[in-house]
Amino acid sequence: MVIDGSYRSTESFLYMRMPGLLAAAVLLASGCTTQADNSPYFGKTEAPEGQVMRYIAGSEPESLDPQVSSGQPEARLYVGLYDGLTEYHPETAVAIPSLAERWEPNHDNSEFTFHLRAAQWSNGDAITAHDFVYSLRRGLAPQLASRIAYLAYYIKGAQAYNEGKGKAEDVGIEAVDDHTVRYRLTQAVPYFPGLVAHQFFRPIPRKAIEAHGQAWTQPANIVTSGPFILHTWKPYDHLIFVRNPRYWDAANVKLDRIIFYPLEIATTMMNLFKAGRVDGLYNHIPPAAWIDRLRLTTDHMDKPEAAIDYYQLNTTKPPMSDIRVRKAFNMAIDKAGLAAYQRTIKPLTAFTPEGIFPGYPRPIGDPFDVQRARALLVEAGYRDAGGKYDPSKFPIAEVELTYNTTERNREIAEYVQAQWKQNLGLTVPLKNMEWKTFLDHRAKLEYKGVARSGWVGDYMDPNTFLELFTTRTGDNGTGWYDQTFVDTLKAANRETDPAKRYAMMAQAEKILLDAQPVIPLATTSTNWMKKIYVKGMYANPVTIHPWKFVYIEHDPAKW
Amino acid sequence: MVLVVVSVTWALIRLAPGNFYTGEKALPPAIEQNLRERYGLDRPWYVQYGKTLSNTVRGDFGMSLRYQGQPVNAILRQAVPVSATLGLLAYLLALAVGIVAGTYAALRQNTRLDHASMAIAMVGISVPNFVLGPGLVLLFGLTWYVLPPALWGGPAHLVLPVLTLSAVYMAYIARLSRSGMLEVLRSNYIRTARAKGLPERQILFRHALRGGLLPVVSFSGPALALLLTGTVVVERIFALPGLGNYFINANLNRDEPLIIGIVAFISIVVLIFNLLVDIAYGLIDPRVRY
Repeated sequence: MVIDGSYRSTESFLYMRMPGLLAAAVLLASGCTTQADNSPYFGKTEAPEGQVMRYIAGSEPESLDPQVSSGQPEARLYVGLYDGLTEYHPETAVAIPSLAERWEPNHDNSEFTFHLRAAQWSNGDAITAHDFVYSLRRGLAPQLASRIAYLAYYIKGAQAYNEGKGKAEDVGIEAVDDHTVRYRLTQAVPYFPGLVAHQFFRPIPRKAIEAHGQAWTQPANIVTSGPFILHTWKPYDHLIFVRNPRYWDAANVKLDRIIFYPLEIATTMMNLFKAGRVDGLYNHIPPAAWIDRLRLTTDHMDKPEAAIDYYQLNTTKPPMSDIRVRKAFNMAIDKAGLAAYQRTIKPLTAFTPEGIFPGYPRPIGDPFDVQRARALLVEAGYRDAGGKYDPSKFPIAEVELTYNTTERNREIAEYVQAQWKQNLGLTVPLKNMEWKTFLDHRAKLEYKGVARSGWVGDYMDPNTFLELFTTRTGDNGTGWYDQTFVDTLKAANRETDPAKRYAMMAQAEKILLDAQPVIPLATTSTNWMKKIYVKGMYANPVTIHPWKFVYIEHDPAKW
Repeated sequence: MVLVVVSVTWALIRLAPGNFYTGEKALPPAIEQNLRERYGLDRPWYVQYGKTLSNTVRGDFGMSLRYQGQPVNAILRQAVPVSATLGLLAYLLALAVGIVAGTYAALRQNTRLDHASMAIAMVGISVPNFVLGPGLVLLFGLTWYVLPPALWGGPAHLVLPVLTLSAVYMAYIARLSRSGMLEVLRSNYIRTARAKGLPERQILFRHALRGGLLPVVSFSGPALALLLTGTVVVERIFALPGLGNYFINANLNRDEPLIIGIVAFISIVVLIFNLLVDIAYGLIDPRVRY
């Protein structure tokens, strides 16, 4: 999914305007109270009584209906309430069996059969294959107008039904018997078991929905399939989940209660964490200026994640329609320097993130090379009479760097701007926009030259990154489309041998890198906080934590 | 009046680019069409505008676009008490401290006490709440760990936000009541009261305060209206589930019914409080009669 760079689009709205004083005050806080004691922990560290977890998952959830909202803050709640055919592994985020005990694909990965275990809804009804059929049809119904219905477009007939051109009965899902569900797909989708861990595919309670309509997610009405049930929901205040005694794996669920606080301002979150009022918070919250200090503690959770920062280039307008110019702009950025400056991220030259897909032969893009960058610009015609590079010939008025307003995006944009100025002698103006205005502008390819972008994988497979460029519109955002690329990627997905498939995908990625419609910048990093006494919770690549594995360790000897 | 405000707001929302469903992933056109149909965005503008106006008149603002299944009225019912509690407590504190300090300063004009309290008031006016708030959090929440640095809960959670919110008003009221009192204390009717030998206490409470606090009263109407309807900065710093917090997010999310609902509510409150101030004038100041 698209990410806004701060991963919390509203957060910096106020703080952008706040003077350095505030930052100074906050820095002072970390300075005078934690540096002195050299503690391996950040702030107050006292385990709460009992098995209670207090967590900040992001903004107020749009909805607790897993087929309606598409955001990360909600996804972090859904894993508590709804179980899937598969669930994310707490450490690697790879799909592990959950409601489905096992599954098998057909010969070319275009059909998947899942075998369900005996499980119950929180009201005692059995969870059957028919629940999956109902859930998928409801999610695709045009009247529901789900924003994430496109995730199911791999399933036969799904797109037609969602677009109002087909019938629900023609959607490629079938309850073979009460405990077997089969999906027929439009193409080979080897990563399908990983995809069905997504909230959109998790079954929802038919009875409750038919009885209560939109209000079915209220605590009094909700029926869940996951390890927890909803106890309290006070918007912008807190949500409380309590253990679901009817969950199939209830014996292994350790937490009695989870309290979620919907918050948006990073400083406030860090304050609450430091004061020991919350036990964990979501990713990208600790500010760069604190990282060096936080690294000394055991509370800082920092691993690479399935997400990248990159810039899109508008290939439909000069000068970025010239591949030499695109390559020059890419090669003129010292990405290692950017990573060092931002502290947690890793430099990126390819389009898939580093260290996330084991065994994938990731191609390498062009390195940082100022000489070649200038040579390419000379070749593209930006030279004086003597044939030497002349920045004044470059149509700088046609290029600007557009980004959505967050502090982090601004820092990165300023860094890149300085790099181009220093290495190419070009001062590219920066232009910031509010998030929704920015999205609109970018989707219509109205931007001049360069626009910020980010992408978080929807599932654990390189395809979630590469498929951005299989359509001309939508999240492509660059205007670049190459049939060879699309065909290579399609062929790769038809391949059933994983090693061969990866090799073919890497070929496709190489085609993309050679055409350079984007400037890859960094693999992002999880960068979140958790108290030492919280166990069973890991820095995984998606920052979604299946709550059934999490517990509070009260014995300091085991910390 | 409220309808005018609502109409202008409605037009402004239309002018802002983006929509409540823009975000996350670029939507396939069919999905966008599904959304437009479901929320009636495919109808002509005058139908949509008419619906907004009739909703406003009926006092039922419909369903939030962002928060599925939540009626705007329900959100208002749950957010207003939070903002109102915060605002009322802050204002009462500001009144209590401000009037006492201001009156004292006026009675002891040009003494050290006067200068000191007016200097503090000046600081109170000059330091914005987004500096004061984190400052208080730093001391009480993060250094001494005595008060929660944020969130909504018991009385302990109220202390820091109320202090942060009331500081500016406290300072204004202190200055207003000081200057009001100074003017009144020099006036003829006070001199008359003194001449007739009334005790100083009675002069102050029965006669001077009445006139001296008029500026405070006229300041109170709009100030109280704004305080009770949510204070964006403080609610966000302390992560409180009040109207201000909703308002900011409603705007960022382009959640039209919620924006309209909050704007209409705030305009009504502002109108009512201005009316109340006019009435209060009549009661306090014998010179004003309608």
